[in-house]
Amino acid sequence: MWFARGKYIIERLIRGLPIIFAIVVVNFFLVRLAPGDAAQVLAGEAGAASPEYLEQIRRQFGLDQPLYVQFFSYMKNILVFDLGYSFRHGREVSSLIFERFGATALLMAAAMTASVTMGIVLGAIAAMRDRTVISHLIIIFAVVSYATPLFWVGLMLIIVFSIQLGWFPTSGIITVGADYTGLRAVLDVLHHLVLPAIALSCFYMALYTRLMRSSLLETLGQDFIRTARAKGLADRTIVSTHALRNAALPVVTMAGVQVSGMLGGSVIVESVFGWPGLGLLAFESLFARDINLLLGIFFLSSILVVVTNAVVDVVYTIVDPRIALNSGRSNG
Amino acid sequence: MGIVMFKLSSTRRGVNALLLGTALASLLPAVSFANPQAGGTLTITTTPEPAIITNALSSAPTTAELATKIFDGLLEYDMDLKPKPSLAESWTISPDGKTITFKLRQGVTWHDGKPFTSADVQFSLMEVVKKFHPRGQGNLGPVQSIDTPDSHTAVFNLAHPYPPLMMGLSSLESPIVPRHIYEGTDFRNNPAVNNPIGTGPFKFARWEKGNFIQLDKNENYWRPGRPYLDRLIIRFIADSVTRAAGVERGEIDVATFGTINPVEMRRLEGLPHLAIAKGGYEAIAPLMMLELNVQKPPFDDKRVRLAVAYALDRTFITRAIWHGFGKPAVGPISSFMKGNGAFTDQNILRFDVKDRLDIANRLLDEAGLKRSSANGMRFKIVHDPAPFGEDWRRMGEYIKQALARVGIDVELRNRDYPSFVRLVHNEYDFNMTSTWSIGMADPTLGVQRQTWSKTINKNVPFGNVSQYTNPEVDKLWEAAQVEIDPAKRNQIFHKLQELLVADSPIIWLMEMDLVAVQNKRVQDLITSPLGLRGGLYDTWIKP
Repeated sequence: MWFARGKYIIERLIRGLPIIFAIVVVNFFLVRLAPGDAAQVLAGEAGAASPEYLEQIRRQFGLDQPLYVQFFSYMKNILVFDLGYSFRHGREVSSLIFERFGATALLMAAAMTASVTMGIVLGAIAAMRDRTVISHLIIIFAVVSYATPLFWVGLMLIIVFSIQLGWFPTSGIITVGADYTGLRAVLDVLHHLVLPAIALSCFYMALYTRLMRSSLLETLGQDFIRTARAKGLADRTIVSTHALRNAALPVVTMAGVQVSGMLGGSVIVESVFGWPGLGLLAFESLFARDINLLLGIFFLSSILVVVTNAVVDVVYTIVDPRIALNSGRSNG
Repeated sequence: MGIVMFKLSSTRRGVNALLLGTALASLLPAVSFANPQAGGTLTITTTPEPAIITNALSSAPTTAELATKIFDGLLEYDMDLKPKPSLAESWTISPDGKTITFKLRQGVTWHDGKPFTSADVQFSLMEVVKKFHPRGQGNLGPVQSIDTPDSHTAVFNLAHPYPPLMMGLSSLESPIVPRHIYEGTDFRNNPAVNNPIGTGPFKFARWEKGNFIQLDKNENYWRPGRPYLDRLIIRFIADSVTRAAGVERGEIDVATFGTINPVEMRRLEGLPHLAIAKGGYEAIAPLMMLELNVQKPPFDDKRVRLAVAYALDRTFITRAIWHGFGKPAVGPISSFMKGNGAFTDQNILRFDVKDRLDIANRLLDEAGLKRSSANGMRFKIVHDPAPFGEDWRRMGEYIKQALARVGIDVELRNRDYPSFVRLVHNEYDFNMTSTWSIGMADPTLGVQRQTWSKTINKNVPFGNVSQYTNPEVDKLWEAAQVEIDPAKRNQIFHKLQELLVADSPIIWLMEMDLVAVQNKRVQDLITSPLGLRGGLYDTWIKP
């Protein structure tokens, strides 16, 4: 079984390669459609520039080369995972990305865990206590969370929990200048993590709650549940051993989609909370027309999506053993 | 001005304390606060995060804010913009103005322990700043060579007299970098560019991208007992509301200009632990303006340009949009240049007259631009507000409303930064655009580029984007470059002020106050006309 799963994942990843390749090609040309180049941005930021200065930057960045030359050299490099050089930052793109990836991964993992857990729990309660005050409250809470813009949630969290109550820091990932080490440093990061993780998880938690509730309600109406009930099993046992697994399948699907979507949401959360992650880096590099860096982040994201989709398919088979791994057709 | 007052009053407080102290010595613990305390960490927030932190290569504002702590210049300037010693202890200018000899400070060392010599000056200015700094040509253009007769003498040889040179030698404009690190390397790709070695009051410690930069005290700084602070932290937070929250909660001590919206700054100012730090932009002379494309109708007609100048209420813009952080502008040469005499408001056309709307309407009628019977509008223009934030968009909305009153229909076109630069500055595809510009301490250095015909260049943003060409103006700018008699030179500037306002290729709106928000525990934050772009070696924190 596990061998089959491993083989399946590898097959899926190999099939993902042409997709990633296509994404890289499209991205390369797409980002160049935006007007203005990195040299102009740098010169603009400088407030003044001589023609020699602009010419210097363009030559240094390789922007004076014909587009096809730039394209082939980029493709050649990407085949050996050389993401190029960010002239703006004066660093390798790969080192910039990996330096920032950790912060985003931590934020996404925390938000993911929080939203899936809370969503399943709240959704299950709402379904089991259907048509009660609790269920209505949960649904209202979910609708409000779903409809509230992410940046507003973030700012409200800061105003209430940082400024008014003073429980959490307003921004950043560590207490700068405190130089904590060991356990104290870990706790410091977690302290900073709470608000951004809540903000980022809000939207998805609402989604999972509603999904879980409707899915569980549907499952509870099915024949095998009636059979279980007829056997005289307690409600709690029916839900936990028979219904939950079935009802959780749509949530797993959504969680897979969320990984790629969260990268988008993290741009906003990272910006509001000054969280030094990848989303913020992508945002800044877009405005700076730092094309190599932007393409590098897109490249990494496309890999992330292909890998996550493969993983979600495998998780399916664990949650629901009836689904067989068959590399010939997609299970997604 | 505000800062001079501030300094006076703090001195007076010191004197009073002293007088009282002789009588009531035991009752005055407050006296200790008048003496700077060493130690502590100052946290500053600025935006955007700079791309590099060596300002010999870039004049980006945040690069300058950081690098001026790490590097020194040959000179500094007092609040009246008079040169004073820094790495240069003294200087003499030859009578013909073509040779300037600097005596350099002895015993100064770089952060890596190597001694500072005249060779560093020669290398920095000729090989680096003049070649790579965006304003290097403007500051040092006529300097043909620098001789180093001994290790602590630098002799500048100029092609012709160039008075603005003495105003362009601060750490902001012409930082001195270590020759032993850079010589023979590709300067821009040298790793030291983002791990810099200087002679300044603070040493570079580390840079967590997207998060903060840390500078530590230079224990061997050549100013005895300075700096007071142990550490400077510069934090980067993308969202302006979050920055304001950080300041409000005391996590951040100082927020530089542009990091917090003016309306929010007024709110923070009201909190007991916060204050507005005025001053520290005298040497920068920041000016806000509307640039008009004079090569295209309708602004090729001077009457239309003047009509717009009359139709806009500068006082309203200053008060309502910028919440009083500035004052209405007179012309291209800002009143910040009062100290050196370049500024004048005599014989200058004024637009803040009572019947300004009638005049505007009359001018437009004379230009043959009649109101249409359909909507009362005369013609339509596109306005590109500077992509510097929501306040600029709001000013665009005001301009739309104000010009509608005289029958000009304005369409607003808000773009992101690179698109804006390409459309407006590289393709000249615009009618009217807002911007701000730094005039520097001398009009030749900062003001000239907007109206001198030789700075019309599609490939170079932020030059003479109006494409204004006037032989008389050109002649005056060129005369000011070489005139060594300060009085005659100022007369040239006064004439330029008069001519340019009368012709209004640009509408000068507001002299900006680049104020910062600061926590009151921070003392002596602004002690130079460069303000937060100074070395901050006198700044200390009340324990």
